[in-house]
Amino acid sequence: MWYLAKMIRGLSIDEAVAQLEFNDKKGAKIMKEVLLEAQEMAVKHHNVEFKSNLYVAESCSGKGRYLKRIRYHGRGMYGIMDKVYCHYFVKLVEGAPPRAEEKTSLDAAKDYVQNLRNRTIIHSL
Amino acid sequence: MNLSGFIHSLRCSLLHIECRLLQAAGLDRHLAPALAVSGHSLLPQLRPQEEQEEQPPGLMDSIMWMAAPKKRRTIEVNRTRRRAVEKLIKIKTNIEPCLECGHLKQKHVLCGFCYAKVRRETTLIRQQIQVMEGGPLKAPAVETIVLYEGETPSQQDKDKRIVEKPSKRPAWFS
Repeated sequence: MWYLAKMIRGLSIDEAVAQLEFNDKKGAKIMKEVLLEAQEMAVKHHNVEFKSNLYVAESCSGKGRYLKRIRYHGRGMYGIMDKVYCHYFVKLVEGAPPRAEEKTSLDAAKDYVQNLRNRTIIHSL
Repeated sequence: MNLSGFIHSLRCSLLHIECRLLQAAGLDRHLAPALAVSGHSLLPQLRPQEEQEEQPPGLMDSIMWMAAPKKRRTIEVNRTRRRAVEKLIKIKTNIEPCLECGHLKQKHVLCGFCYAKVRRETTLIRQQIQVMEGGPLKAPAVETIVLYEGETPSQQDKDKRIVEKPSKRPAWFS
C-alpha cells in the first residue's frame, strides 16, 4: 500500500486514477475508490469548480490494528499469523500539479565549482 | 487467554520431551562439569551411542555450518533496501482512452468496457444456441449466422445455420 501511495504522490487526479486502474494490487482498487470519493466530495462540499483541476498533494498509508491468528506448522509447531489492516490518507489540492524544476547541467557545474570554492578550515585565521 | 496458555503448555511439554531425548542420547551438555576429565574411557562409550541413536540431522550439527545473520538489520537499512528506486512501482505510459466508449485502456489490450458489452450479447446468443441444440455435443458441421428481427438470410447464408434473435441489431455488430 505504501508503494501505491508513493507512486501517486504529486500526480494529477486523472493520472492517478488511470495508474491505479491498471495496477494489479488489491490496494489499487480501494485507493481508486477513495480518490473518486474525494474528488466527488471536493466538487460537492468544498467549492471546487473543475473536478480535473485537482492533484494529489499528500498520500500516505499507516498501520492499522492487526488481528492475530494461529498458523499451524508441522510437528505441533505453530506460528502467529497477523491479519493485516492499514489506513490510507489522501489530500487533494486544487490546481495543476507542481512540477519539479529540472536543473540544467550548466547550473549543476556552477554549483559544483561554488562548493569547491566554499571549502575552508573552520576556526582558522 | 485459554488458547495461549494451552499453546504455551504444549510448547513446554515438547521442549521437555526434546530435552529428555537429548539427555538420553548423551549429547546434552549443559549439566556437564566445567572441568572435564580427559578420559580415553569416556570417548569409546560416547561414539557407539552416537551411532546408535538416529538423531534427525540438523539438530546439533547444523550449529556449526549453517549461515546465520550476525546482527539485527536496523530499520534504516531495511528501509533503504525496501524503498530503493528499482523496487518502487513504475508509472505506466501505455494508457490511453478507448475510441469507441471513452473508458481507459492499455494500448496492447482490448478495452474492458467494450469487451464486457460484447460478452453480454454473446452470452445471450450462446444461451439461444443451447436451447436450439438441446444438449451437449450437438453442434452442426456448418457455420452459424445470427439474424436479428427484420433481417432475411442473404444469398451467401443459405448453407449456414441461422440463429434468430428477436431484438434489434446492436450498432457495433456489423
